[in-house]
Amino acid sequence: MSEQKLKHFVPTPPRLPATNEQNLLRRIQKRCFNSIGNSLLTISVLVLIYYVAKSFLDWAVFNAVWNAATRRECMDISPDGACWAGVIDWFNGLIYGRYPDEEQWRVNSGVIMALLWLLPLMTRRIAYRNSILISWITLYPFLGAYMFLGGTFGQDVGIIHMIFTSLAAGYFILLYLNWMLCAAGQPSLPERLTPLTSKLFRRGQHMNGFLLVWAVLSILCGGVLAQVHLEPVPVDRWGGLFLTLIIASFAITMSIPVGILLALGRRSKLPVIHWLSMMLIELVRAVPLITVLFMAVTLLPIFLPSGAEPDKLSQVLFAVCLFAGAYMAENIRGGLQAIPDGQYEAAQTLGLGYWLTMGLIILPQAMRLMIPNIMTSFISMLKDTTLVSIIGLFDIMLMARNIANDKNWIGLHTEPLALISILFFVMCYGMSQYSLNLEKRLKAHRS
Amino acid sequence: MNFISPSRPKPGIAHSIFSCLNKDSTRGVVIQAATLGLVLAVLLYLFSNSAQNLDRLGLSFGFDFLQTTAGFDISWSLIAYDPSMSYWRVFLVGIVNTLFLSFCVIVFGTLIGTIVGILRLSHNPLVSQLARCYVEVVRNVPLLIQIIFWFTTVFSALPPPRSGYGFAGLIFLNNRGFYMPSAVSDMSGWLIAAVSLILLGTLWFLLRSIRRQQRQNGSVSRSYRIAFALWGLVLCGMALIVGSSLRWSVPALQGFNIEGGMFLPSAFGAAFIAMTVYRSAAIAETVRAGMESISKGQHEAAATIGFSRFQTLRLILIPQAVRAIIPPLANSWLVATKDSSLAVAIGFPELVSVFMQTSVNQTGRAIEIISMVMGFYVVVSLIISYLLNKYNAHVQIKAR
Repeated sequence: MSEQKLKHFVPTPPRLPATNEQNLLRRIQKRCFNSIGNSLLTISVLVLIYYVAKSFLDWAVFNAVWNAATRRECMDISPDGACWAGVIDWFNGLIYGRYPDEEQWRVNSGVIMALLWLLPLMTRRIAYRNSILISWITLYPFLGAYMFLGGTFGQDVGIIHMIFTSLAAGYFILLYLNWMLCAAGQPSLPERLTPLTSKLFRRGQHMNGFLLVWAVLSILCGGVLAQVHLEPVPVDRWGGLFLTLIIASFAITMSIPVGILLALGRRSKLPVIHWLSMMLIELVRAVPLITVLFMAVTLLPIFLPSGAEPDKLSQVLFAVCLFAGAYMAENIRGGLQAIPDGQYEAAQTLGLGYWLTMGLIILPQAMRLMIPNIMTSFISMLKDTTLVSIIGLFDIMLMARNIANDKNWIGLHTEPLALISILFFVMCYGMSQYSLNLEKRLKAHRS
Repeated sequence: MNFISPSRPKPGIAHSIFSCLNKDSTRGVVIQAATLGLVLAVLLYLFSNSAQNLDRLGLSFGFDFLQTTAGFDISWSLIAYDPSMSYWRVFLVGIVNTLFLSFCVIVFGTLIGTIVGILRLSHNPLVSQLARCYVEVVRNVPLLIQIIFWFTTVFSALPPPRSGYGFAGLIFLNNRGFYMPSAVSDMSGWLIAAVSLILLGTLWFLLRSIRRQQRQNGSVSRSYRIAFALWGLVLCGMALIVGSSLRWSVPALQGFNIEGGMFLPSAFGAAFIAMTVYRSAAIAETVRAGMESISKGQHEAAATIGFSRFQTLRLILIPQAVRAIIPPLANSWLVATKDSSLAVAIGFPELVSVFMQTSVNQTGRAIEIISMVMGFYVVVSLIISYLLNKYNAHVQIKAR
């Protein structure tokens, strides 16, 4: 029976060749209105977008009040609109917290200095890239802390902090000298210094000259800084976006070394180290960040000797560092596992020891492989910093909530929250787009 | 590096110690001993400090406080609680509230996330871009901001009970929360739960053996049909008995408040909606990645055998995508459970709020309480990862 049918098999006529449909209208019709269901879907989406956009714009822009002294005034002018006047009134607080007004230039210049320190990395022709990054992690915090905390050298600023601040300032100057030389196509600064110092040192090791100049510059900077008096600003007056960024950047920078150590520990063949790191990582990853924060805040004062009670920011930084490190350790472990055994064997053949193998061969490759995951972790760390408001640190979140307690702006909840939502969206979305871009670029390099 | 030469001097004692250290095995032992010693020393130091500090505060370490009366009220709990109950009960209330919130978030977050994830793959550019906007906006704004946003601008802005929204006199919504009718039975809840569990168990057993028989000889024997019918009869009987003992408790306005029925506080509503929305964005991305992991050939093969788009989705794409989706999805559920601790910010009485905050403040037993809370989360995460591994082994492609 079926064979009978097969004999009279009539092939369907071949489809027409696809025409090149560049016409915009045709394309829209084909993708949005190709069937009744799809047309209905398109129309309902358009209606939805129209209503959401219209009501949002009406509230945020067209009916909004930008100029008023109190919330009552806002309500009188336009009851349905946003009251941006309150947010504008508190804008300084949202950015700097309770940092004294006349000292806020220090926060600005400290943050700008941090960015300037990293700026040379953007240029292609610069020697000693890694040293810039390492110095930013190890030296800049001292300079930044001095700028933000203030105090006079020798009185409020401890001796170690003094030395490192001077070293950081000296390095900063050298960094820019070096950058200018490199940008002009000249040999880098250490090489330039070689003829100057070759008379002092028997062998013309250019690093010696560099260190000498650095030391001299640092002493000079220290001398200058010692003459300056910066009004001390205690940590409990820090707040707003400034504090959020400090906690987030601390979490981001500290997560990498802590994560590397924990990941190496977890991959170690020595059972004690393996088990200790694994227990720490798994314990921290299994619990919510808020419990780690509560633990740091309530347990640290109990575990430390009485009298040595750390301030709240240090407690939070400890918790955040532990938490971010444990998550980063798992990212890095993924990268380490992706490195083929041949790389380890090749390093062994060259006679490299454990730390050299890891530092020069394995970790750079592992980190590069894991860049997307690491960036995702950074984004979630930035978002998670809002949690410190629960334990009473005046970050941008708590500052935004506090506007509603101001007697002039009582009950003004929505506008500050909307503003910081937009701010976080811009930061996080920017970071994620940057990481996608980076991923693409690295892929292009590899293939 | 060892340069062996005939004129090499005989190694001294110090040198032989160093060369011994250079051997991998010895070095391993030394490093481990040093690490262990360091960790123990730090722990010892911390514990001696804590012993001193506890002494100074007049506290002692121990879990005996769990038996004492808590004495404070909890604004909302699923299981019965009153201030005369012990701290142990407070811990249980916290756990039940946390699990309830995370369960609701997981169920609805997964549903919405799956829908958004599939919409994100729509051929209609408007639909897919709208889904993309939803995902990007929701996941790039911190969860805490979203929770507080829903709480302060939506739920606290609702009218008070007397002028709140009501629907058909059954459901009420106001700034205190959400009220709906609930069934109250005269029978003990434990009995009903036990009987339903037994019923479900027998149903599962029946279905499994029917399926096994069908696989073996292609048909189902009559005895199974009779068993099935019997099961249905028992079910009907149970439903009749329970139904006759049921009364509906309907919320009604009494004075300034609404009494009766089931009540969900506004803090729950805000936390639930914010977390569901946030989780759904993460799950949508998981679903999309899972769907996109299926090769194009599968789509084409489905088109060749004339499947419609819906059939392709249901019969070809989803069963394969599940394999790639389940592990990150379970991870997402675990994160949802952990994220439920953020509800502490708006005063929803979950574990961190009632136990880690209020109870620590009342008793000062920080070490014990924090280890209990962390222990709870560790146990939950172990259970979820255990179940995940089981399920994963079940759905993996089996090589025969």
